[in-house]
Amino acid sequence: MRLRMTLAAALAVTLAGCGSGTDTTTKSGKITISYAIWEKNDQASTQKIIGAFQKQHPDVTVKLEITPWDQYWIKLQTAATGGAAPDVFWMNSLNVRLYAKGGVLAPIENADVSAFPQAIVDGYRYNGKLYGMPRDVGLPVLWYDKELFDKAGVTYPTADWTWDDLRAAAKKLTDPAKKQYGLLAPMWDQGGFYPTIVQAGGHVISADGKRSGFDEPGSIRGLEFWTDMINKDKVAPPAQATTDTDPVQLFMTGKYGMYYGGSWLATAFKANTERGDKVDVAPLPKGPAQEAVILLGLANAVSAKSEHPVESAQFATFLSSEEAEKILSDTGGASVSSRAGTQDGWFDAFPNYHLKEAFDASIPHGVPYPVSLNTAKWQDVQNKLLAEAWAGKRPTADAAREIAAQMNEILAKE
Amino acid sequence: MSRRWIVYAVLLVGGLIMITPFVWQLVVSLQTVTESMRVPPMPVPSWQWHNFADVFRTVPLGRQFLNTVIVTVAVTAGQLLLCSLAAFAFARLEFPGRGPIFMLFLAVLMVPGELFLLPRYEIMQGLGWLNSLQALIAPGVFGAFGTFLLRQFFKTLPRELDEAARLDGANPLQIYWWIMLPLVRPGLLALGLLTVMWSWSSLLWPLVVNTDPEMMTLSAGLASLRGQYLTDYPILFAGSVVASLPVIVLFVVMQRQLIAGIAFTGSKG
Amino acid sequence: MLLTEERAAAKAAARPGRRPRRDWLWGYGLIAPMALGLAVFYLWPIVQTLYLSFTESGVFGGQTWVGLDNFAALFGDEEMLGALRNTLLYSVLVLIGVPLAIVIAALLNVPGLRGLGFFRTLYFLPVVTMPAAVGLTWRYLYNGDFGLINYLLGEIGIDGPYWASDPEFAIYAIAVVGIWSSLGYNAVLFLAGLQGIPKHYYEAAAIDGAGRTRQFFRITLPLLTPTTFFVMVITLINALQVFDLVYLMIDTKSPAMAGSRTIVYLFYEQGFVQNNRGYAAAIAVVLLVLILALTALQFRLQRRWVHYE
Repeated sequence: MRLRMTLAAALAVTLAGCGSGTDTTTKSGKITISYAIWEKNDQASTQKIIGAFQKQHPDVTVKLEITPWDQYWIKLQTAATGGAAPDVFWMNSLNVRLYAKGGVLAPIENADVSAFPQAIVDGYRYNGKLYGMPRDVGLPVLWYDKELFDKAGVTYPTADWTWDDLRAAAKKLTDPAKKQYGLLAPMWDQGGFYPTIVQAGGHVISADGKRSGFDEPGSIRGLEFWTDMINKDKVAPPAQATTDTDPVQLFMTGKYGMYYGGSWLATAFKANTERGDKVDVAPLPKGPAQEAVILLGLANAVSAKSEHPVESAQFATFLSSEEAEKILSDTGGASVSSRAGTQDGWFDAFPNYHLKEAFDASIPHGVPYPVSLNTAKWQDVQNKLLAEAWAGKRPTADAAREIAAQMNEILAKE
Repeated sequence: MSRRWIVYAVLLVGGLIMITPFVWQLVVSLQTVTESMRVPPMPVPSWQWHNFADVFRTVPLGRQFLNTVIVTVAVTAGQLLLCSLAAFAFARLEFPGRGPIFMLFLAVLMVPGELFLLPRYEIMQGLGWLNSLQALIAPGVFGAFGTFLLRQFFKTLPRELDEAARLDGANPLQIYWWIMLPLVRPGLLALGLLTVMWSWSSLLWPLVVNTDPEMMTLSAGLASLRGQYLTDYPILFAGSVVASLPVIVLFVVMQRQLIAGIAFTGSKG
Repeated sequence: MLLTEERAAAKAAARPGRRPRRDWLWGYGLIAPMALGLAVFYLWPIVQTLYLSFTESGVFGGQTWVGLDNFAALFGDEEMLGALRNTLLYSVLVLIGVPLAIVIAALLNVPGLRGLGFFRTLYFLPVVTMPAAVGLTWRYLYNGDFGLINYLLGEIGIDGPYWASDPEFAIYAIAVVGIWSSLGYNAVLFLAGLQGIPKHYYEAAAIDGAGRTRQFFRITLPLLTPTTFFVMVITLINALQVFDLVYLMIDTKSPAMAGSRTIVYLFYEQGFVQNNRGYAAAIAVVLLVLILALTALQFRLQRRWVHYE
């Protein structure tokens, strides 16, 4: 008897719990569209932007869904397979072609994107159509620990720094006895080895997207920049250390001189009351061949299967409007808008960091993030093989050639 | 005399190794990130109770807690009912094909769970049950192991019991409910406790079928928390403590019954 | 009419070994819910997985028949071979932990031991703790820079490695956690086995002048072999399916991943991250064959060393 009642109670609770499905149309003729993002540090600004949009469109309600990066893509792919993707969602240049080709995304017609950096906009074009409205710009910068520089008597990094300047400084900042290192060298593509590959005159993928560039001499030099710092010069901790502990967290211990990190870390560093005011930023040092930095900007895409295509497109377009972009920057969260003339609010939110100077010096040398149709597939190969090189278990040049071989096979099938 | 002290010493040292991770987790869950990265490690907490508040704020931990309770209760109740029904039939009733059907049940026990995942996922997708609690409950209430375990218990009961009941005009369902079920209570308790343990902790299925944080169980929620907080251990441990505490408390309270149940699976398995 | 039928049924029931036909219906009726559920969620998926293993899946759904291609690819796939190697190594390491459980059980079984409940609680605690939480905790203990283990090693002059991030050490580190979290469970099984050994064996041996150690090797271990066999079968089956600890302790981009990716982890990666459903199904089928083969092997070998009374 007791068992039966427990079961009945359990069922009742379950049913109540399951009743909270998503109803897209409410009674008063109002409609609801869903908006999926992954960055919780952008929640505040996004909520404000949604408020502004709803004021202009009183009949539309936007429901914000935040899913952590780890689950975001698995969840999106599942939903898209079942034809139930969110109405509007964050997209990156890495995945946009795959989703556009799969018929998941609705092309955005007649959009004016002239105010956005070309390197970012082009990342969202596929077969001549635009599949995402640019939103923000993410920039790798050189974060450095002023306190360590002062103690070692090294001058702060400047916009004129070259690889050699960086290496020389890293050597002076390294002190094995204190477990102190000049540089953090986690295995990171966008802000780490992709820029150095281009700076050394190499490339990740050919301009037509058909061939891997990993076996080019310049690319190998760009990779060795990192692996030598770790395994030869020993001015950076082993790859195992930056795997054991998040490099951002390591940098905040005050034992690491420099860190190639995202501009979006500004908000996290500022929040650190102990060491936040002891760090600053500079543009990435110049390579032997050229100055280069990978620009990564997210975009807002519209689902091709949306039940409310008109409103969804309106919302996506609004997200890139001057009004929305200004709110984004002024909130001083993780992201800075990519629309020209709307960024100053973000720079002002971090008066201790020379972010504006870093942006001004870097943007002119911005190159797009290297992609093909199924970028994730060869990036997987790249990450697995480079992990061996980073850990010093395999010569970098050897790993790079192997990546090129496997990547070419994958590209040939695209 | 001295031999006895060696026994105690060995057991204590071993016990210390077993318990240290728990103590350490508790200590660090009450520190700041910076303190958690100090060398030498800090053996005392600095009482950062806000870590617990933070973890509830950044992931829907309360909701995940509720999800886990609902799923565990429903799965356990379902298992107890369905397994005992089938076990009773296999142990006490005769019908053609009983042996072969039971063998088929047992065969399922031999198959690793991964073989079920992809098709189950598609079933759930077809039903529109992805990201729902039903998706976690439905496959969980059926189990060959429970049927097998309870059948062993039913078989130990004397024949005379059901025969006397039949003479009084009771049908099998009545015999099952009024006479047999009360007598296999230790078996039900063992199965119930084991099911609670497994259901509470299981990771792979909840991880793939429910990707919406609101619909996750604590196990998958912890994995997702790690995705967000990387190596911010104080927060991760605050989540871990909340997630694992209920089952630990249940174990401490029901220790004797659970251990008896496990010992039984060993002797009859 | 009804009355006579019932009386006849009662008569039939009174005769042992014979049951009225109505029992059939009751039998089928009572197993029906479970049988239906097992058919839908267990048997049908097995068939379906077998089918999937011969297909290739599209990125956003749909399958095409590819015959044995998946299996051919699997045997040339370095990752699969690595996963196979890691899984077997892990299983062997965890099996090596089984004798430890016998020792603990034997110590707990010392007559007149005080605080049995207390010790049992200590050793059993890891068993009831969520593997996800266990994985996180140990990952911190293993941390190369701030972990407790390396700190303690440092106190005695050893510079410990980055246990969970080094390709050379990670699988051993995970196996230690595997042993740690199953030790209590196995010890409880062994304890039950020990308590099932009749006292008079020991009394007879004591009269013959056999010491404690001799008794342990001559009586305890042989008579414990049925339990040992059961524990080893269960341990191996579980070890071959290890996933949770790898998922929680090793990052996807970790240099240690190649040295610690297990078969089920690869299955998860292929089936649910990369969406290669067909390939994942083939991995699951290989796992099934592996488990069946190794379990069958254990049953064959048991004749050589398991003593049944």
